[in-house]
Amino acid sequence: MNIFTGLLGSALRMSTPLMLGALAEVFVERTGVMNIAIEGIFLIGAWAGFVGAYLSGNLLVGFLAAAIIGMAYGAVYGLITVKFKQHQIVTGTAMNILALGLTSYLYRVLFGAPLLPLTVEPLMDLPIPMLSKIPLIGKALFSQNALTYLAILLMPVGYWVLFRTRVGLIIRSTGENPEAVDAAGINVERVRFLAVLASSALDGVAGAFYSIGFLGMFTSGIIGGRGWIAFALCFLGNWNPVGVMLGALIFGLADALSVVFLTSGIKIVPHEFLIALPYILTIIATISRRRFNVPAYLGKPYVKESG
Amino acid sequence: MQALNNLTTQIAGMVLDRMKQRDQSFWLVFSPILSVILGLLGSGLMMLLLGQNPITVYYNLFRYAFRDIYNIADIFAKSTPLILTGLAFGFAFRASLFNIGAQGQFYVGALAAVVCALHLEGAPPILALLACFLASATAGGLWAAFIGYTKARFNANEFLVSMMSTYIAIAIMNFLIRGPLKEAKGEYPQTDVIPANTWLPPLIPHTRLHWGFLLAVAVALIAYFILWKTTLGYKIRVVGHNQVAARYAGINTKRIFVIVFSISGAFAGLAGFTEINGMQHMLIEGFNPQIGAEGIGIAILGNAHPIGILLAALLFGALKVGGNLITQTSEIPASIIGIIEGFVMLAVILSYYLQNKIRTWRSKKALKSREGVTL
Repeated sequence: MNIFTGLLGSALRMSTPLMLGALAEVFVERTGVMNIAIEGIFLIGAWAGFVGAYLSGNLLVGFLAAAIIGMAYGAVYGLITVKFKQHQIVTGTAMNILALGLTSYLYRVLFGAPLLPLTVEPLMDLPIPMLSKIPLIGKALFSQNALTYLAILLMPVGYWVLFRTRVGLIIRSTGENPEAVDAAGINVERVRFLAVLASSALDGVAGAFYSIGFLGMFTSGIIGGRGWIAFALCFLGNWNPVGVMLGALIFGLADALSVVFLTSGIKIVPHEFLIALPYILTIIATISRRRFNVPAYLGKPYVKESG
Repeated sequence: MQALNNLTTQIAGMVLDRMKQRDQSFWLVFSPILSVILGLLGSGLMMLLLGQNPITVYYNLFRYAFRDIYNIADIFAKSTPLILTGLAFGFAFRASLFNIGAQGQFYVGALAAVVCALHLEGAPPILALLACFLASATAGGLWAAFIGYTKARFNANEFLVSMMSTYIAIAIMNFLIRGPLKEAKGEYPQTDVIPANTWLPPLIPHTRLHWGFLLAVAVALIAYFILWKTTLGYKIRVVGHNQVAARYAGINTKRIFVIVFSISGAFAGLAGFTEINGMQHMLIEGFNPQIGAEGIGIAILGNAHPIGILLAALLFGALKVGGNLITQTSEIPASIIGIIEGFVMLAVILSYYLQNKIRTWRSKKALKSREGVTL
């Protein structure tokens, strides 16, 4: 297998959770709420996914558990920020600290302190007949795991929902002009809360990709800032699924490059530089891009005028 | 009759104001205490999962933390960097700016301190310490000034940039510790021990408490002085209240962004100085990985006020000392400390909600009764 195919394949694989997380963030931020708890929900998802898969012996159960528990954790965030109108950054930070403590504590409660890390068999590649035989790109594009296919499919679907459906219109209007949405008889808080729930479920699955989709085990450092990358991708992708997908692929490539360089022993640049690359790129992109399509009410709680 | 009415309204207004004042100071003390109790209750439930009696655990935690002079001194030692990272977040918060990157500024400050110390073997201790102090404050300040600059110049989102800059700082630190700064033995990813002349002297002999604690207290007082006793501080608070109004009032908000971030970063950088020169005496890969996040929790618990931050940091310090000993002597894993901190933070946020709720309910009631008087 040549290095190009390998790199492209693993770039796609590494960008999978970023695509899912950033898409989730696009939808929730379009309603005006930043899901700052994303890093914590990724971690919760990774934990729940592993626990579900390990106890049941079934990866699907793991991903389901990740979605449900991620959603439950997000519900707390939604309750405090949307319903109680408390500060999103502060609340999110608290939820992220708590997630770090909770996951490693509950891992200990369930499994004690095993000498060797417990493992499950991660997601298998599902080569698509015919297509995966295309030279050069076939193996990279069409011999991926189910979640990667799903993530790639979800991007156009997400675009369609956001810009071509009534639900999408409501979502976008809630972030741009909540008064108008309210005047149309739609409950702004409910739209936002539901968006937090949906995005948290997807974040949970994205987090579970690291534990059971890829590594096959759980450690407390497994996410290590990747939730923030997904969060940043939402900004960089200009709150648009297409932009998000492009950004995720670039960051996936950076991630894949650092793994390739580390395992093959090539030393062009220090390994740490490649680790830092997505974060450097994010800053450069943030300052080089002048016109952002920020939802007008992003981060601002909606206070209904009482008559 | 009219005069009487006016008088009663005036009196009612005065009483209300007095009540509001008392109300505020009451909440200022009551709500953090309530939050801490709630946080401990929540974590207590988690202990039940491991079949541990929370009352025994907390009793032991308290007993260990205050067991002897060594442990009590350790509370102050552990709270030292927490005061500084708490101030870092709290200071910027007063300007409604979000410095989420105290962790990175702390590492940059620690790097500067350790490099400085390693090169100053044999120098007079006072000068060596002063050099390390300046190096870490400058390094942290400059690192954060960049964040303020991107906000001022490019209108970048400071939350995002400060968050990302932390991961870059971690990568730089790891690179240096695994490469140029790696210990002479070359075994572990850590630096050599810094020479003894660059150590912060102990405040109480035979304990780990060092002069860095007094430095942190001094920095808290300086932060208070800047914010409430200087023109700059006044401007910072005006920007915090309303950026647009501040601009109309002729305040150069962009300059304030850069200044606030520099000061905030210098605070976090100094935490690196106290940890390297006072506590660890070397730089170890990935040490104190939660100090930035804990600073945020402390700043929130302390209402972003330097004195509140000081007290909140001492509480977190006590939790750490007692918590560490608990985890060494019982089945409770160390992650319980993070759980307690997380629950306390959430409880603080909920108490803000409760305060608002009660306040609106009260003022509604007061409004009704006042209307009754004037009618």
